[in-house]
Amino acid sequence: MIEKRTADVIIIGGGIMGCATAYRLAKRGVDVLVLEKKEIGNGGSCRNAGGVRQSARDPKELPLAMYAVKNIWPTLGEELGVNVEYHQGGNLRLGLTESDIKVLENHTAKSTKLGLDVKMISGDEAREICPYMSKDVIAASWCATDGHANPLTTTLGFYKKALELGVTFITGVHVNEIVKVKGRARKVITDDGVYEADNILLCAGYESRRIANTVGIDAPVERQFNEVLVTEAQPKMFDVMIGVAGGEFYGHQSEHGSFVLGGNSGLQAFTSNNDNFVTNSLTAPSISRGIIKYFPVLKNCKVVRTWSGWYDQCIDVLPVIDNVKEVPGLTLGFGFSGHGFGISPAVSIALSELILDGESKTIDISQLKYDRFKPKK
Amino acid sequence: MAKVIRTANKEPFVEKPDDDMIICRCEEITKGEIRKAVYEGMRTMNEVKRFLRSGMGLCQGQTCQKLVQGIIASELKTKPSEVGMITGRAPVRPVDINTFSNNITDVKED
Amino acid sequence: MKRHELIIIGAGPAGLSAAIEAKKAGMDVIVFDENQRPGGQLFKQIHKFFGSKEHHAKVRGFRIGQELLKEAEDLGVKVELNSTVMGIYENKEVTVKQFGVVDHYKGDAIIIATGAAENMIPFKGWNVPGVIGAGAAQTMMNIQGVQPGSKILMVGSGNVGLVVSLQLLQAGCEVAAIIDAAPRVGGYGVHAAKVARTGVPLYMSHTVIEAKGTDRVTGAVIAEVDDHFQPIPGTEKELDVDTICIAVGLSPMSQLASNATCEMALIPQKGGNVAICDEHGETSVKGIFCAGDVAGIEEASSAMIQGRSVADYVAKTLGYLTDDEFEEKYEFHQNALGQLRQGMFAPKNKGRNDWTVTDEGFPISKSLLRNGYMTVEELENFPAFNYKKEGIHPVIECTQNIPCNPCQDACKFGCIKVGANITLLPQIDVEKKCTGCGMCVASCSGQAIFLVDDDIGDGYASVAFPYEFLPVPNVGDKGTALNRKGEPVCPAEIIKVQKASVMDKTMVVTMKVKQAFVKDARFYKAD
Repeated sequence: MIEKRTADVIIIGGGIMGCATAYRLAKRGVDVLVLEKKEIGNGGSCRNAGGVRQSARDPKELPLAMYAVKNIWPTLGEELGVNVEYHQGGNLRLGLTESDIKVLENHTAKSTKLGLDVKMISGDEAREICPYMSKDVIAASWCATDGHANPLTTTLGFYKKALELGVTFITGVHVNEIVKVKGRARKVITDDGVYEADNILLCAGYESRRIANTVGIDAPVERQFNEVLVTEAQPKMFDVMIGVAGGEFYGHQSEHGSFVLGGNSGLQAFTSNNDNFVTNSLTAPSISRGIIKYFPVLKNCKVVRTWSGWYDQCIDVLPVIDNVKEVPGLTLGFGFSGHGFGISPAVSIALSELILDGESKTIDISQLKYDRFKPKK
Repeated sequence: MAKVIRTANKEPFVEKPDDDMIICRCEEITKGEIRKAVYEGMRTMNEVKRFLRSGMGLCQGQTCQKLVQGIIASELKTKPSEVGMITGRAPVRPVDINTFSNNITDVKED
Repeated sequence: MKRHELIIIGAGPAGLSAAIEAKKAGMDVIVFDENQRPGGQLFKQIHKFFGSKEHHAKVRGFRIGQELLKEAEDLGVKVELNSTVMGIYENKEVTVKQFGVVDHYKGDAIIIATGAAENMIPFKGWNVPGVIGAGAAQTMMNIQGVQPGSKILMVGSGNVGLVVSLQLLQAGCEVAAIIDAAPRVGGYGVHAAKVARTGVPLYMSHTVIEAKGTDRVTGAVIAEVDDHFQPIPGTEKELDVDTICIAVGLSPMSQLASNATCEMALIPQKGGNVAICDEHGETSVKGIFCAGDVAGIEEASSAMIQGRSVADYVAKTLGYLTDDEFEEKYEFHQNALGQLRQGMFAPKNKGRNDWTVTDEGFPISKSLLRNGYMTVEELENFPAFNYKKEGIHPVIECTQNIPCNPCQDACKFGCIKVGANITLLPQIDVEKKCTGCGMCVASCSGQAIFLVDDDIGDGYASVAFPYEFLPVPNVGDKGTALNRKGEPVCPAEIIKVQKASVMDKTMVVTMKVKQAFVKDARFYKAD
């Protein structure tokens, strides 16, 4: 077998964005090669709490979320042939204090303006939707069309489907640089030699900035640490995605019955640097205290593991999804800032159109350009 | 991490008589499910775990890890040492949320 | 944050030994163990250990545990029980679940000594209640005083499978068979012989293919396997058992090392996934060490030495031992470990099965490897079995090079010699006198020494054998002598029962048999 070294499109990064876009491109008959440093979905794709959420989204990326929820998520499992465990159980964002209510009202107003059906409800109304929460919850925002899914099976489902459609994945390959040929991004230099393609999609999470820098492109993206705890399976209690205005934790009960709840200690931005995804000793206790505040009923539920991950936090907490004008042939898809999973099925459509059609025709991503970052006036 | 080129399997998946045997007891994952996952492209312990939940239960893979490593390796015709292992995660024994929250060091005393 | 110079995780043989050594060097050390009592698996080991004096040979495992605990207590080692280490974090921090809270500790060094867990093999019905680990069976019998079942199939003929089978018999259970997919008995031949002479069959090249029953085990189907370990159709056999004991090896419990980001590898010779350690047990994370089974499956004896050796190294790095002091200790420990790591069952020889002769050049018994017992013809190749002496004399049926020598110290007349290399076979000095005191019989951890008198008059001979069962036979009891396979060979009468506290519960029972059966009669069954 001749080793594959060229393709129509090379995707750098075998996370959910890379796998999903590979799938979209292959569906349109494109020859795709995905390069991944570690395993499939090793970064934020398999290290998130599975929110499929429109509420509390920045209006600039809301079209992606609304499109995904309306058009893709309901049938994605069927499409991929895996159980993505999508549940449209709604999203409750809980408040304990008056200032929490202000935060929630602010988001609700913004989202409503863009046509999202999200509203403020009282603590008692919230308890009607999810009877297990503490009496201390005084208000919540409610978006009935939000939900959650399983990021692991979704990511690997996109990967599996892309494979089926003829995509080649090469794992264990570290990308060092992108090199232009006659004015166009063409070569991908790796520690395993050179790969070439007409188009290159860079969606390598927090590694993207380093690689983009090799062709002189920069975006203010830094990696951000976050942690999740997972409990043993419990009887089915609720189907809603939970967030809290105070930010103590977020997450849901999975189809399996376990609770998958993310959060942080407040110290995570300055956690000691390590590349090993090791958790911090203070974080799971912080998340646990948060959980007990809102769901005291869960206090005897056992935590079976904790894990951590880095995500690619952009300075304005929004992704970069764009073709690079001054480096033709290079498309960017990174900076998802910890909430990319829910929009990934839509992002992959936008990215595939950017590559094949030169623009995103289906979904408005005009606010997510790579050159939007401006200094103070 | 060694380089691996992954493409779709051209041959059809072949079932085996002992496919219905449970391998991961906590999550009730069968040998056939693991074999099928490998066939569909999952090539490492982590990928199989993420795809199927094998090793994600109460024992966190203490019982099934070696068995799953063996099955993946045999499907890929490689050595078990080549398919990776699942990462040990804290807490290595299940701990209830209440105990976890009662954390001596990081809570300021009033 | 609470801080100690050395944090040891696990109060088993390796952890306790490390703590003792560290404390002796003057270090501030704390030991955490998740169990209610310390000692790890030592307290369920009721059999006598192998090795030499410094390895506590011929001492029962639980007594070694008691000695270790006493030494730790006398030194004031702090052992925190019911304390589960949940994780190891950056900067050598551990979180410990104790008394309903999570406490944080930091150490200058951490020794992970978490031991091992039992392997399982999957087969149809392996998740039915009644399929248990051999270690679990041992805990039930020897700690909790409960029979794990009444009729048992033992899967696995390694030392654990053989030793636990004997203990099951001692606990009053019936062992229907010991099977192993390998073509040869995996454990010491002497362990196999102890069980075989009670009548338990050993089936090599056999595997269990099904546990019958839905709510609990009601039977087991076994079958012969081919060279590729695949069951041969038509060879299936159903055994009437209510318990299937799995003794197919151990895996290091190395999750904490993995959690601490130590570089890991699957190393079959070490029994599974382990942290990669240097010669001092240090992992890829500086200051984090592994000792005992978690670093690679061996025996408790080696774990204790390893624990001490690793602790000495930690003491050196923290300035409690000079380089010279450390070197001296290191050499001592390496020497002791080296003695244990010799012979046919040494870790370096794991998986090797091409032995044809012993180090002395005697042909290895094929029947022992295949059936668990030796034939007389095979034994006759060994001088310690096949020599002529009038009156009472020892007959030694120890035919594999294993690290063990208590027999040579047992005889105060110097009748038995092993020499400096403790894996060599014991030799008999024909010139030295034998009084029939029975000390060699009782001291042999392998129960492979017999006292024989070929002629006690009237056409009778006497055979004295080690006995660790209840009820205790009485002088005058009449029954049947059994051969090495456990088959009846002739009538026998008990003529002597020796018990002594130095024999530590191993009785030496002498039976009278017809002279013609003196080479065959090795065990006794009351009528």
